[in-house]
Formats: sequence, C-alpha cells, structure tokens
Amino acid sequence: MIRDLKRVRNIGISAHIDSGKTTLTERILFYTDKIHKINEVRGKDGVGAVMDSMELERERGITIASAATYCEWNTHNINIIDTPGHVDFTVEVERSLRVLDGVVLVLCSVSGVQSQSITVDQQMKRYKVPCIAFVNKCDRSGANPAKVSRQLRDKLGHNSILMQLPIGLEDKHEGVVDLVAMKAYYFEGDNGENIVTKDIPAEMMDEAQTAREEMIDAVSLFSDDLTDAILEEKIITEELIMTAVRNGTITRQMTPVFLGSAYKNKAVQPLLNAVISYLPSPLDIENEALDMDNNGESVILESSFDKPTVALAFKLEDGQYGQLTYIRVYQGCINKGDTLVNSRDGRKFRVGRLIRMHSSQTEDVEAIPAGHIGAMFGVDCASGDTFVSPTINYSLIAMHIMEPVISLSIVPKDNKAQINMSKALNRFTKEDPTFKTYVDHETGDTIIQGMGELHLEVYVERMKREYGAEVDTGKPRVAYRETITKKAVFNYTHKKQTGGAGQYGRVAGFMEPNDEEFEFVNKITGGRIPTQYIPACKQGFEGCMAKGPKLEFPVTGIKITIDDGAFHAVDSSEMAFKSAARGAFLEAYAKAKPVIKEPIMKVVIETPNEFQGSCMGLINQRRGIIQGSQEEGVMSVVESQVPLSDMFGFSTVLRSATQGKAQFTMEFSTYKQVPQSIAEEIAKRKLEEKTQKK
Amino acid sequence: MLKKDLISKSPVSKTIGIENLKQGRFGAVLSRAGVGKTSFLVQIALTQLLSDKKILHISLDESIEKINLRYNDAYTNLVDSIGYVDPQKAVRLWEDINLNKVGISYNESTFDTEKIKDYLKSFKKADLALPSTMIIDGLNFDKDVSGILTELEDLNHEFSIFIWFSMKTHREEKLSQDGYPIQLDAHKESFDKAIVLQPIEDKIEAVILKDGDKTDQRYRLDPATMMIVEE
Repeated sequence: MIRDLKRVRNIGISAHIDSGKTTLTERILFYTDKIHKINEVRGKDGVGAVMDSMELERERGITIASAATYCEWNTHNINIIDTPGHVDFTVEVERSLRVLDGVVLVLCSVSGVQSQSITVDQQMKRYKVPCIAFVNKCDRSGANPAKVSRQLRDKLGHNSILMQLPIGLEDKHEGVVDLVAMKAYYFEGDNGENIVTKDIPAEMMDEAQTAREEMIDAVSLFSDDLTDAILEEKIITEELIMTAVRNGTITRQMTPVFLGSAYKNKAVQPLLNAVISYLPSPLDIENEALDMDNNGESVILESSFDKPTVALAFKLEDGQYGQLTYIRVYQGCINKGDTLVNSRDGRKFRVGRLIRMHSSQTEDVEAIPAGHIGAMFGVDCASGDTFVSPTINYSLIAMHIMEPVISLSIVPKDNKAQINMSKALNRFTKEDPTFKTYVDHETGDTIIQGMGELHLEVYVERMKREYGAEVDTGKPRVAYRETITKKAVFNYTHKKQTGGAGQYGRVAGFMEPNDEEFEFVNKITGGRIPTQYIPACKQGFEGCMAKGPKLEFPVTGIKITIDDGAFHAVDSSEMAFKSAARGAFLEAYAKAKPVIKEPIMKVVIETPNEFQGSCMGLINQRRGIIQGSQEEGVMSVVESQVPLSDMFGFSTVLRSATQGKAQFTMEFSTYKQVPQSIAEEIAKRKLEEKTQKK
Repeated sequence: MLKKDLISKSPVSKTIGIENLKQGRFGAVLSRAGVGKTSFLVQIALTQLLSDKKILHISLDESIEKINLRYNDAYTNLVDSIGYVDPQKAVRLWEDINLNKVGISYNESTFDTEKIKDYLKSFKKADLALPSTMIIDGLNFDKDVSGILTELEDLNHEFSIFIWFSMKTHREEKLSQDGYPIQLDAHKESFDKAIVLQPIEDKIEAVILKDGDKTDQRYRLDPATMMIVEE
C-alpha cells in the first residue's frame, strides 16, 4: 500500500437506484486493470457485475451490501466503496460515508436529482463529505446534463459548476469537451479504452469559450492566485484552475460536475482524473475522536504512521474464514501481530490476517497504514467499534443508526431450518444494525425487524439461499409506539407485609412529554429516598418503557422527574423501589393521555404524466398527505408522506394503476400520532390477537 | 386564536372578505408581469388554509420548490404583520395548515384538467374533505382558453371548488367598454370576482373590478409583503 497519503483517495460512489453506480464502478475497475472483462449488471451472460458479489444481487440487478475494492490510477491508490441505492439499505450508505473522504455523486442525465440523491446528499452533509458529481447516461433519450446541474443547485443547494460539455447527446453522444484543458476527448476501442484527444469541434467553440469563462469566474472565488491572474490578465494555466477547483471542492463550497455514459464507455477516465485532482486525500480531511480518559474531549487525529493506532470497524461480514471486519485506519498503522484494544468494552486482541478487499476476493497484506481501508479476520466485535493502541482510549464518534420501522414474524419450516435460521439471524444482526430480531414470548414466534418490506424480504431470501433455512413469514407489521401527551403526577407507595421482611418504598414526582426517548431526573432532596435506591427507581421506570400499558407497544418520549418519596429502615430494598417506580409509572401514565404513534414514510412516486392524477389519488386513499407534484419532461414526480401501515402491497397497486410504468421509493420520515379511528382499530386487532392466543 | 388574528390581518379579508371569497365559480387576480399576482393568490390560499380548508395550488410556470417558498414567505409576512407571536407557536401552526396544501407544477403544454379530475375524484372515493379552493397560476389568457375554462367550470360544478386564476395583462392594451382588461372581458360571464393590482408610486393599488355591487374600491398594499398599508 502506498504510504504517501497524498496519493491515496478513499471514495464512495452513491446515487439513486438505477443511476448506474455499479456499472460505473465496473468501468473504473476495467480501466485501472483490476478486471479484464466488463460484465454488465443485467448482462445477457448472466455473470453480473463483479461488485455485485451476492447471488441475490446479481439476480435482481441491485446492490445490497456495499462492496469495497481498490484500484490504482496515475500512481494513486483509490479505495472505492460501491454503495446500495435502495433506501431500505440506507444504513450501508451511512456506514460507508462515515469512513470515506470523498464521494462521486452519480446522477442520471434524464431523471436528474431524485429522492435518493436527496437522502444521500443529507448524509454527505452530516458527515461533511466533499463530492464531485457525475451526470451519467448522457446517451439516453432525453439526456440534459445542464438541467441536472441546475437541479443540483435548486434542489440540493450545491454550487454546481460544469467542468465539461457533452459532444452530442442521446444516441449522438461521442465524448466530452474538457473546459480546463480546452480539448475534446473521444473514447475509442471496444471498451472505450483509447482516449483520443482532439481540438474542440468548431461549432462548439463559442459555447465552450462561454462555459469556460463562466466556470473560471465561478471557481476564482476559491483561489486568490487565480483571481489575481484574471485581474492582471495573465495567462490562466490549467494548474491555477485545478487548484481553485480543488480548494472549492474540499471545503464543500462547490461541486464540479462531470458527464458521460458509463454504459457506453464514455468519459469515465476523465472522471478518474477528477477524483485524483479534486477529491481530498486523507491528509486533507480532519477526523475527530473522543478521548474517553479525558471526559470525552474531542481530539484531532493525525494521519501519521508513528502515532498510536485509531481505527473504526464500519462493516462486518461472515466469510469462510470467520468474521471479516472492514476497517478504516485514521491514525497510526495496523500491523499483523499488533495488539489492539476495542475501546467499547476494553477487550484486547491480537491482529491476525490483514487483507485488502476486491469485492469478494481478498489479497493478503502485512499492514494497513493510516488513511487506508482494509479488513481483518477473526476479530469478535460489533459494527461501529473503535480499535486503538493499548496506550490510548479514544472512541470515534458513533454513526447515525435508525430504529427499525417494520417487523415480520418468521416460522422455520422444519427442524433443520430452525437451527440454520438462528445461525443466519445471528450473523445478519451483527452485520446490519438496522436489522433486529427477537422472540415474542407470548406467541413463541421469531420476529425480524427492519427498514422496509424489501429489506426484510432480502434477508428472508438470503436465509433460504445461504443457509438453507426455509421459513414461513407472517404479515408485515408496523412498529407502533406509545407516548404521552400531557404532564401527569404520581405518588405511589409500594407496601407489602407478608411475614418476614416486608417491602416498602414510596416515589412521587411527575412524567411529561419529551423529545428524547427516555430521560430520568432526580430532584430528591434531604435523603427522602436514599441515594442507593435511586438507580433502582430509574430501572423501574425504564423497565416500563419496553411495553406500554396502553397497547403494549414500546413507549418513547417520556421524561420522569422524581422529587419526593419515603423509605423504611428495614423494609426498603432495591426491589421495593423498583416495584414502586413501576406502580408510579402505571398510575401517571393513565392520566397522561397516552396515544399511539405510527411511522410515517416519505413516498416519492415517479410516473409518466398521464398517470399523475391517479397516483395522487392512490396516496389520498392511503391517508397520505401530498406535499407536491412536479412535471419534469414526460415524467411527473409526486412527493408525499404516508403512514407505513397503509403502504403494504403498494407496489402491486401502483403497477396496476399505471400499467407498470411508475415506480416509487419509500423511506422513514417521522413518527406521528395515529388518528382516533385508526387507534381504535389497532386496539381491536390487538385484543383479537390476544383472545386468539388464549 | 392565532389563526383568527392572522386571517384578520390578511390583505384578502380587507379587500375581498373571507366569507365572500368562495361565493361563485371563478375569481381572477389581474396585473402586469411582476406586480404580485401570485403573491396575492398565495394570500388568498393562506386565508383558506387558516380556516382549516384544503387548497390545491396549480402552477404552470413555477417549480414546486418555488411554490413552497412563496407560501413560506407569505406566511412569514402575515405573522410579522401582527407583531410578536411565539415563534414556536407560529411554526407549529404552519406545520399543521401546510398539510392541507397541495402544490402541483405542470408544464403549460401538458396541462390537462382530466388529471385534476382524477385526483379530486379520489377524495370522494376515500371519503375525504375536498379542497375548497383551487389556484391556477400561469394560465395564458392571451390564448384561447375557453375549452379549459369550460372543463374547469364542470369541475367547479362537480366538486364545488372555487377557482382563482392569475391573469397577465399588458401595458399597451386598452380596456374594454365595461372597463375590463381584454383578457377578462372575453370570459367575464364566468368570473364572479376580479381584482386588479397596479403599481402606484411606491405601493401597489388593489382595485376591486368585479364582486357583486362592491366595485371600484381601492386599497394600498406594500409591494414587498402584500400587506395592507394603513393610511
């Protein structure tokens, strides 16, 4: 691995579904000699793209797990993470962004900025990841890269600046004009591997001159040298422009826009040049960690190899040689045989095999230095753990993980499936923090939870294929929540005298709605409840949160304050105060106007114009709220918020209403209170289930 | 309470009157380009939202983001006009009433009342309250729009939805015999209400052209906020 970090790039490729991320990655690997034959995502040969290594991925033509790979270009090392486009797998995107230094945002030249691009953009903002944009599919009919660049401005607020112009669009797309070098590039050969540099076609010269001036004008903001050169009317060198663009990009003040068609092998190589020229190296990015020995003060990490090691486990996978842990090293260097500490639980371990990934194939390495991405075998840990040298105790800031919104009961078909199922679930939950599983004690069913129907469907399918565990699935269920809407006081005494030592404890205070999940405030003065019993009180209250008294859904958004109480010198115990807290919770909860909340999804439908009205109608029939609809060429986009419970089976309904021409994406937006009539229905259903069980 | 205060401050309640707003079929806000037709239409829609009614805003020349921005701005102006309001309260109210607004942006060439009809029908099917008012902004009245207007009259009849239009006039054009701009004159029978906005000095004057007996009343508006200027 290259130790000169200036020549290292850790990048991700993200976008909306079907914008061609995997196709682009495939081309990049081909041009960088990592693979010697291009296989299409949905190619007729049935091989599928190299990056889609899972059988299921190749079959469906979607990327589920983000694959990591690396390549070399112009003496630079590029580590690439190909991320899934479907929102159900958004945690994969989220995890990748945490460890990347830059992103290539791929946009379709016809559809432009789509809903997932918006989600990815928000994630990029959260992790402050600089990006360059690649407007793909310029060979498609209706291609309009200038429009897409405008949308980047209007919809995402990027300062997007076109760095290239297309030579021909749609079926006449031949190449690109580079506005920095003022040259035209054509791509010849079977796979576009021969770049032919020519003069700009005469008919495009004026347009190119104007575009170049606009571009230089815009990027001059990011370089005083360039501004001086313009004012003093000196020759503007390529280097001056490139430095300005690089400054602007790394500070996230501008997004240079490149274009081409990965599928038609056009202009991928200039994009690779741009990755090197404009995206940051690990040295350009400031990474922070929390020093746990110093009250969690934040410390800046240095990409130096001599410093103590700090690395993040961002993804786990079960390979044939045990658990494979993907890591990004931020400081120091991980060598084979080193001893590291997992800062979450303080456990020490020895580094065994270190590898660098190329999709599902591996290459053994001796060390992974700071700034690089790699993987190690045989370390027992969870995703998001920080590994450090034994001399320090740092923790990298945790990633943003969402709670699952949908659940499904699964029942193994036979005994063999039962054993395999638990193996599979064990692995999936370790790999994917948004996938959870538990056993419902009342029914004895195994419940799996995730971010959407497709998310769970994929896991059920993987269970069958990879583990031979066939399961019957129940109906998908929505993860309802309970919460309170007003403040209520409690004053509860728990007293039991049944011979021998009795139980006594009194707690008083109030509960109120809260933005956070659960908060406990202790305002007891004068030792009315001795300090040693306070944690027991907290535990008592917290224990009630798992199953709400109203309809047995988890309770969220409650703040409990205790300000009074009483104890007995002999009869009080932790147990007694726990019970008192439970009683107090129930007492106040009933008075605090509890309500049921349901997950609301952001649903975006893209449909041909003629079906726009009926698509909006479909949303209306599902208790949905339409936020707006926009016609873009022949397609309309309808944005809405719909309760998840009304979205089951929506894809079938949408297909039949639009002759299969519309598609939709759905992602979790927020929790909202359920209307009274629906709450009654839920209560009725819950009651029926209970009687059935009996 | 806040809702009532906001409605009373609205330029619409002072000029046209809230109760009067939805009586009839069509209404028009006329002016030359850039005077404030859309802003006034948005104020009309806001009074409906504040009265807990649903509205449908159709724009033929602006993107959905722009429409949403206009509503945000108009609401902010309205809130600012009543002095101090608890910002959290104002935001919560906006989040509430904003749910009743649906903005649709169409290309003028593909604008088709059938699509709106499909959509409105779905309200009936799902047994939901229909939007009370529809705003159609950007329809070109210099062209022959009688076909579209007939179709919209049917919608008005079937779904009892009052429709407000923006109507662009031109500086050089003369008024008709009745004193109407020619764009309105051609369809005057269909329109029950019409209000003209014209720049006067550094203000905008709103003149009621047609509204039962209440005609030729004049009001001064602040061009930046569209709020009534008390004189």
